[in-house]
Amino acid sequence: MVSTTAPAPKGRGTGRSSLGRIATIAAAILVTLAFLYPVIYMVSISFKLPKDIFTVPPKWISTVTFDNYVSYFHQARILPRMINTIIVAAGASIISMVAGSMAGYALSRMRMRGAGVVGGLILASRAVPPIALVVPMFLVARKMGLTDQYITVILAYVTFLVPYVVWLMRAFFKSLPKELEEAAMIDGCSRFGAFFRIIVPCSLTGMVSTLIFCIILAWEELLFALILTNDKAVTIPVAIAGIAADTEHGGLWGPLAAVGTLTVLPVVIFALAVQKYLIKGLADGATKG
Amino acid sequence: MSVSTPARRTGAAKAPVRGSGNTPGRRFRLGEPGTAWLFMTPALVLLAGMLLYPIFYTLWVSFSDFDLALFQPTGWVGWKNYEAVLKDPGFLESLKVTGIYLVIALPLQMILGFAIAFLLNVEWRGRGVLRALFLIPMVVAPVVAGGIWRMLLDPLWGVVNYTLGLVGVGPVEWIGDPNLAMASVILIDTWRWTPFVVLIAAAGIMALPGDVYEAAKSDGATRWQTMWHVTLPLLVPVMAAAFVVRWLGAVKMFDIALAATKGGPGNATNVVNLYIYEKGFRGLEFGSASSMATLVLIITMILTYFLFRISRRLENRW
Repeated sequence: MVSTTAPAPKGRGTGRSSLGRIATIAAAILVTLAFLYPVIYMVSISFKLPKDIFTVPPKWISTVTFDNYVSYFHQARILPRMINTIIVAAGASIISMVAGSMAGYALSRMRMRGAGVVGGLILASRAVPPIALVVPMFLVARKMGLTDQYITVILAYVTFLVPYVVWLMRAFFKSLPKELEEAAMIDGCSRFGAFFRIIVPCSLTGMVSTLIFCIILAWEELLFALILTNDKAVTIPVAIAGIAADTEHGGLWGPLAAVGTLTVLPVVIFALAVQKYLIKGLADGATKG
Repeated sequence: MSVSTPARRTGAAKAPVRGSGNTPGRRFRLGEPGTAWLFMTPALVLLAGMLLYPIFYTLWVSFSDFDLALFQPTGWVGWKNYEAVLKDPGFLESLKVTGIYLVIALPLQMILGFAIAFLLNVEWRGRGVLRALFLIPMVVAPVVAGGIWRMLLDPLWGVVNYTLGLVGVGPVEWIGDPNLAMASVILIDTWRWTPFVVLIAAAGIMALPGDVYEAAKSDGATRWQTMWHVTLPLLVPVMAAAFVVRWLGAVKMFDIALAATKGGPGNATNVVNLYIYEKGFRGLEFGSASSMATLVLIITMILTYFLFRISRRLENRW
């Protein structure tokens, strides 16, 4: 009786029969591998020669080549595009973190007439589809000669990052004990002093996980970058969309896989390195607030 | 998600000295509202300039004739663009396509996500590793995801068709057939986003209170009874929250469709964002693109509002 009714969910009462347990674990591993397979496939294709890619049955083991990386790296100007993406993602994330955290703090901790309305509007802005913003952004940027510049893309990304940061950080600040800044302010700190010297250092966990999500969201953004860049400031997702559009007849699988691998690899390593923050951030983002 | 704090405001006004250990309220009242707005200023300026202003600009363009020679909107034309757009079968079809995608993909991802989370939460040594590995599909840029799956689903050289061929199915025209192309887009989106639901669900399951299980056990509930009457009801708030977040992402879907099918074949996977993009930036029909964008904005905001309300209610009830 005990062994069959123990709740699986919590994970700790695993009194299940050991056979069922092993089956569940095996299923979990299989499902995980199935989800990882496309990424493994991409990486393996990126090291294959065309003759080994386009064969039936698929070759599991073949000559390892770096051609796909070398040949396309210059032609598609991958390195400058990677740098563009880093600049844009970092710039947009930092601006959004500063502006968003301050607003999130005010909304969570300070008395403010109209806080409800403003907070509600910022929350609602999370639902604004980017497609409703791109026509004016394009027209205005074109008129002001600001197309294809970092600052334009950065400001465009702020539209979806700031509401996101406000939302997450407001929930995070709410969970901090009030005594923190009260103590600081008794000691003569201003609100700004209390925020930057006490609250921010105490919120590093929340800020780091929010920052990571911002960087990832900006790193992979396509629509704004597609419209606002055409040469100098082109980001990696735009470059990939270009290569993918060329794959009509299967010709560019290798290069596409190679560039895809280069795009995904840093983020994967980064994500695994900071997985604790990421998982915590995900959980908080969905449930708090 | 409720932001207003009337209780706190009146509380502070009535009782300047709050409960034990707290500071006198006057320290907080000192110049407080002004400072609060100062804290809000950077975010509000950015959002007013980059979000609110473009929305009004879009509205303006949607009611104007767009002069391609001057490259700016000229002259008020009233509802003309809207009338044209509402008669445009391509637009109506793209709305339908988006609806089908949302109605199938979101519930599918929720169910799969929670089911896998239960699998992953069985305690053993590798549990943490598996959960970390589930982060990987989540950080594959959607446009890359579209590209990889285009290869996997290729009718000639794709691994999926090869595998299906081994069991005597196919060859299947994944991208070439209208219905299957939709299925492919949903499959790719589900691959990319289910891990997100898995991780949120896993965290929710971990946070369930242990004592109710003790109670259920002592009442002699079977595992299925516990699942249906204890675990799932307790998880409703997490499900509601995960669904809202997924919804906010899914209504913006653009890149997967662009990379995997380019909206085709025909218009079979032309989600509304992709359709508007093509109209505006390939066809240079900025007037109709803007009226479509305005309609999409309004529809999205209304639906999101109701989703938020329902989700709030679900979160509060349990």
